[in-house]
Amino acid sequence: MVSPMTASFPATAAARTLSGQILAIPMTVAIFSGAIALFANSFWLSAATSAIALSLSVAGLAILYGQLGLVSLCQFALVGVGGWVTLRVGHAFHPPFEVSLLAGGIVAAVVGLAFGLPALRLRGLYLALVTLMLAGAFQIIISAWGFPDGGSGFLGRADGAGRAMLSRPSIAGEAIPYFLYVNVFAALGLMIAQWHKLARPGRAWALIRKGETVAISAGVPVLVYKAWAFALSGFLAGIAGALLAGNVGQLDGRAFTSFESLNLFALAVVGGVYNWYGALIAGLLLRAIPALLTDLGIDGYVTIGIFGLALFQALATAPSGVAGQISGLLNRLRAHLGKSGAE
Amino acid sequence: MIAIENLIVQFGGVRPIDCLTAQLSAPVSGLIGPNGAGKTTLLNVLSGFVRPIEGKVAVKGQALLDLSPLQRVRAGLRRSFQTEQVVEDLTVVGNLKAIADHVLPNNERAESVSAALDFVRLRAVAATMGSSLNLFQRRLVELGKCVVGTPKLILLDEPAAGLSNEESGVLRELILRIPGEYGAQVLVIDHDVDLIRAMCTETLVLDYGRMLALGPTDEVLASPDVRRAYLGEF
Ligand SMILES: Nc1ncnc2c1ncn2[C@@H]1O[C@H](COP(=O)(O)OP(=O)(O)OP(=O)(O)O)[C@@H](O)[C@H]1O
Ligand SMILES: [Mg+2]
Repeated sequence: MVSPMTASFPATAAARTLSGQILAIPMTVAIFSGAIALFANSFWLSAATSAIALSLSVAGLAILYGQLGLVSLCQFALVGVGGWVTLRVGHAFHPPFEVSLLAGGIVAAVVGLAFGLPALRLRGLYLALVTLMLAGAFQIIISAWGFPDGGSGFLGRADGAGRAMLSRPSIAGEAIPYFLYVNVFAALGLMIAQWHKLARPGRAWALIRKGETVAISAGVPVLVYKAWAFALSGFLAGIAGALLAGNVGQLDGRAFTSFESLNLFALAVVGGVYNWYGALIAGLLLRAIPALLTDLGIDGYVTIGIFGLALFQALATAPSGVAGQISGLLNRLRAHLGKSGAE
Repeated sequence: MIAIENLIVQFGGVRPIDCLTAQLSAPVSGLIGPNGAGKTTLLNVLSGFVRPIEGKVAVKGQALLDLSPLQRVRAGLRRSFQTEQVVEDLTVVGNLKAIADHVLPNNERAESVSAALDFVRLRAVAATMGSSLNLFQRRLVELGKCVVGTPKLILLDEPAAGLSNEESGVLRELILRIPGEYGAQVLVIDHDVDLIRAMCTETLVLDYGRMLALGPTDEVLASPDVRRAYLGEF
């Protein structure tokens, strides 16, 4: 397996300013979401909504793997945690949607940190195994508990009659407004992740990647910055779960298998963990391919094979993923334009 | 002033440092010895990554071994590594900021980074990614990182390895300016005896973890013991 330490990093982008690099995110998301909102039918709109929401959780994985080389295989479980808390808080207290969403994000951050704690001193295969087992544990718990659907008690299960849906935010009740609403949060989440990469935490992570001794020699409190990466990654996964819960108004416990966490990681690598738009690409692949297959009447399980092949292709030929290839193309284009402009 | 007393480091059955007692007080001191003599291990003890089983170390009167590696950095200890450790996907400024982030309050970082950048003469490549730098520039970045903040003791592990004579000459001039401009004491490991001679007024020679000689560099280099340990090397 190609380690992220040896992968080729995009070598330019030096001269562009921090705010410029961050502002590219809302601009891209706005153009993209506008196009989809204009042209997609309701089936594709719903798929795009969950794709965008999921890309946030991929952004979290990209921090762990792209910034620190840590393989976490329980990210979809954290999406589930965020979704569970959002539904639980929403049904119990009926606060504005944003409050439930934030609660989902924060609890998932805490759980992500707790999942990460035993892992702070692990890496490579051992970390992957531990997190995969945690994802398996979550799968067992959530298939027993199910997601809250307006019932009473801690688990909030209504069982059969009286099942309630979580209502969407009041400003985004319909499909298209909710899709745009999700895009706003996705842009915010991606900007937070990108700021982290470009500012002080990103520099500390870069040093840790170089070696813990090197990082400590530069004054970096290594455990704090690793823990922060786990918490941030969990937070983004939790927000993704909250936005998914808001999309349909409920979640299905059977959809949160440990296998989904594996898929998420594979697609994160395929999309590219070194560029922010890798997460968007991964989210789209994750939802668009199954939707496309359903559209064509092909069994959804074929996606597993397709994702496997895509992962193999990425690891073998493009360790920085689709996004890395796009970035390389853009850089060449920019260099070319710069040259002809100077003449 | 570094005072080392009765220092013993043990890895399993080997003692890379064995009962070392030495005091280094020159502004720039040299540390030489054959391969495997324990030079890097001594630096690791000073920076806190290797725990000795016995002995004491004091820097400017302060007991060093009680401090964690991070506390030592915050107290002004800086070091470079035998193989340079510039981060490829950070710019030169990013590499300097990465240490300023943790050793200075927010409002003093930019100024210190800027000063370090000028000190090592890398302003022209300030925005260049580490991956595009040549070895000399990387070694300069490493030196620049050492003068960010308020360095008190700078440990350099073969800072000129792989450089041309001309390049190591530039590096030497910079290192010699550090005690005057930053008030820090410098300890340099190098295999290039001419470089050590030109830079260090005082030199410690290690051999098999023991002190072979310590004193004014010229005298130390002329001593028969040292010449024997180095036979074939100069
Ligand atoms: N972590 C370790 N575990 C076991 N032995 C070690 C360790 N680090 C160093 N040694 C051994 O300690 C001895 C001294 O090593 P050290 O790296 O200090 O030598 P050095 O003087 O820096 O040599 P060089 O000039 O080659 O850099 C060597 O025999 C080495 O193999
Ligand atoms: Mg050495």
